[in-house]
Formats: sequence, structure tokens, C-alpha cells
Amino acid sequence: MSTRPLISVVDDDESVRESLPDLLKEFGFDAQSFSSAEEFLASDSVSQTSCLLLDVAMPGMTGPDLQRELTIRRQEIPIVFITAHRDELVRPRLLAQGAVECLFKPFTETDLLAALNTALRV
Amino acid sequence: MKNELSSVVDALPGLVWTALPDGQVEFVSRQWREYTGLSLQDSCGDGWQMAIHQEDLFQLLEGLRSSVSFEAEVRIRRFDGEFRWFAVRANPITGESGAVVRYCGLNWDIEDRRRREKKNVEDALRRSAAERRHSEEALDKARSELAHVTRVMSLGALTASIAHEVNQPLSGIITNASTCMRMLDADPPNVDGARETARRTIRDGHRAADVITRLRALFSKKDGTSELVDLNQATREVIALSRRELERNRVILRTQLADNLPRVTGDRVQLQQVILNLLRNSSDAMSAVNDRPRELVFKTELEDGDHVRLSVRDTGKGFDPQTMDRLFHAFYTTKDGGMGMGLSVSRSIIENHQGRLWATANDGPGVTFMFTIPRNVETHEVSPGGISVKDQKSIARNS
Repeated sequence: MSTRPLISVVDDDESVRESLPDLLKEFGFDAQSFSSAEEFLASDSVSQTSCLLLDVAMPGMTGPDLQRELTIRRQEIPIVFITAHRDELVRPRLLAQGAVECLFKPFTETDLLAALNTALRV
Repeated sequence: MKNELSSVVDALPGLVWTALPDGQVEFVSRQWREYTGLSLQDSCGDGWQMAIHQEDLFQLLEGLRSSVSFEAEVRIRRFDGEFRWFAVRANPITGESGAVVRYCGLNWDIEDRRRREKKNVEDALRRSAAERRHSEEALDKARSELAHVTRVMSLGALTASIAHEVNQPLSGIITNASTCMRMLDADPPNVDGARETARRTIRDGHRAADVITRLRALFSKKDGTSELVDLNQATREVIALSRRELERNRVILRTQLADNLPRVTGDRVQLQQVILNLLRNSSDAMSAVNDRPRELVFKTELEDGDHVRLSVRDTGKGFDPQTMDRLFHAFYTTKDGGMGMGLSVSRSIIENHQGRLWATANDGPGVTFMFTIPRNVETHEVSPGGISVKDQKSIARNS
């Protein structure tokens, strides 16, 4: 069993699911990707996940929906939101609800690393 | 017995009277006398009539002549001169011959009831009027907001969805390129991994380009509706929709709209999107201006006889001449939170109307944005050197 922290990516966009895990592995993390919140919840990765990279707007259960569901299930996984909607109003709301960070796509690897470091320190 | 009867009559809750069919009163009860202030003698004969409101008297006289029982509502003057409404009910008493000998009547005060009813009716009327006014106001507000929202949304939502569509592949490009570099920097380099991520980078680049292609298609000529558009009217509507916003931004707006401006052929909503976009840009460009009036001038004019020009002049922060060209590039923005799509989309719209959109720096502070569109040719009498439909099409093809 790997001792590297598991980062789970939940995003309905395929190019994110394809590219982000590779970069995360280059960073030295373990990475898995899921195309929906439901798929993530149904997996056995929930309890293994050290940090969640979570898309905000997804068909079906949204990112914030998943955040609430995890709170109800008392799964306190640090969450870094990633969104392609550059809405400055959304960011403070998500942070107020307990997210570690909210990154606007496209984000740099520096910003991503910084967010992950914050998340894993929590 | 007579005394007893009289005391009963006096105790009845109302004014009791008897009268002959010809209207001559024989008897009035104490309550009548006390209410009207008229004595028995004053009231008898025709005397009672002075206590009845002139407009209502005929009802009673007719009733008394009718030979049957009757009802009426009449105003009766109180001793102090105030008229109050009374309900009157009278029954005929017939003699042995069957002819009416006299009428016996009772009047009771319905003033308070009438007032209540009147008030209820008035209240109901007022309420329904207020409700109607309220709902009309709400409707008007909704209507203007809807118009505003549909226009603003169509550009705002459009740019947001374009940004979303473009940001997704851009995100992939940057992530893949970052991964690619790390793989190449590794010792030994992971060339196969790097090749795969480079391949994905190219694919995502194409995805981003496809979004731009779709955007162009969105504004291609065949998608727009074509009608005769009065740019003055279109401008006034946009200004009306933006008035509150301009007031909030303390922008002084002036218009110099040319009389008899020829109409142009095009898509009214698209052209209004452009006008709105120019208005908002200029308004935003003046938001930090505090040392001079924030002045916005909308001007329309006929140019060279064959084009209609609309210009929007502001006293805002202006632009560096070098950046002037980049203003119209997609994703170029000087605004915090701006998408950098408005001017680029606006230029596409104007170019699809065979027009031109550009900006010049003012002599004083600020910038003037303007566009020209060929005037409508159907109503244009072709004069020597005038532009014909054929010419216009060839211009469009060449541009």
C-alpha cells in the first residue's frame, strides 16, 4: 500500500480528468479521477482521499452538493474547488463554507501546489 | 287604550306616521318630532315635506299614490340640519269600499349602514385600483428588467459560456504542458509520457480553436434576423434600459441624435447589444474618474451620404495608443473581472452588418468608440456615385 497522499479529482470535463492526475503523480501524489460526485461517493476512495480537487458546476450533483454530503457523512476531506466560471462572487462563498481554496481554470501548477500544500497541512 | 297605543307607537324603533293617499300627513310619532325638530302641527298636511330631501320626495309621493305597500330610501333632515338616510316602508289601510283610506309607515335610520357599505365599496375599489396599479407597476418593471436582462444576458451569458468553454481546454493545455516539462526534466526523462502529454496539449489547443470557430458561426450573417432598424430609436431604448445604471455611476448622458437619420438593415437586438456594450464600457471606463465630469455623449449622423455613424464619447481613463488595436482582440481586457469578449463580439456583429467598429483617443480625456453601417439601400434613391445593392454585396465579399 502506497504511503503517498491520495488526491481525488472530480470533474465532468474529460481533459481535466486526463491531465490532472498525471501532473499530481509528477508532484509525488497518488491520484484518481471521477467523472461525477456520485461516482466518487460510490467508490471506496472516499475514506482514503487526503484532498479533493472538485469541480463546481457539474450535471447532477454539483461540487458544493458533494461538499455538503461529505459534511453530513462526517468525512472531513480538505476540498480545493476548480472552476472554469470565473465568478469572483462564488469564491468567497465557497471558502466561507469550508473550502481550502478555489482555483479558476486555467490555473498554474504553482497555484495548484500551493493549494494542495495548504490542504494537506489542515 | 289610546294612551297605551300611543306609548307603544312612540316606543317603536323608528319614525311612525300616517298619511292620506294625497300626501297629507295626519300623524307623526314622538320619534319623528324629536328627530326632525318639527311639531305635530308643523308636520301635518304638507309640512312633513320640508324634512325630506328634495331629490327623494317624489319617491314618497308616488308611493302614497300607488295604492299598494311601498318601500323607499330617502334622506330626512335632522333638527340640526343634517340629512340622514332612512329606509321607509308603508302599508295601505283600505276602507270598506276597498279604496285606500290612509297609509301607515315606519322610517328607520340606515345612515350608518349606508356609510359602512359605501366605505366597503370604496375600500374595495381603492384596493382593486391599488392592486391593479401595483401589478401594472410590477409588470412594467418585470418587462423592462426582462428586456434588460435578455439583452445583457445574451452578451453577458454568452461571454461567460464562451469563457467557460475556452477555459476548459486552456486548463488542459496548461496542466498537460506542466506535466510534460516535469517528465522531460526527470532523470532519466520520461519521453513516452512527455510525448503523450504533448499530444493532449495539441488536442486541447484545437478544442479551444473550435470554440472560437463556433463563436464566429454564432454571429454569421445567416443567423441574424434582418429588418429595418432606426439606430436613433435603438439607441434611445438602450439608454432607457441603462438609465438607472448610469445614474448609479453618476454618468451625465447627452445625446446628439441626427434628425431624419436613414435606417439600416440588420438585426436590431444584435445592434443594441453592441450599443449597450459600448455604453457599459464607457461607463466603466469613467468609474474611477473623480476630477472631471463623467460625461457620455451618444451621437448619430449620416456619413458620406451612404453610411450611418454612431459614436460614443466618454471622458474616461482612455487608452494607450499602442493598446488601441488590441482592444478588439478576444480575451483582451482592461477591467477586473472582465472577459475581454465584449468588443471582440461587438466588432464581429458590426462586420456582419458590412460595417466597421473602431476607437480613437479624444483630444481631451477619454475615448470615442464608433461604428458605421451602410444605410438601408431600398429607400435610397440611387444617385450618381450612390451605392447600389450590388456594390454593397461586393464590398461585403471583399472585406
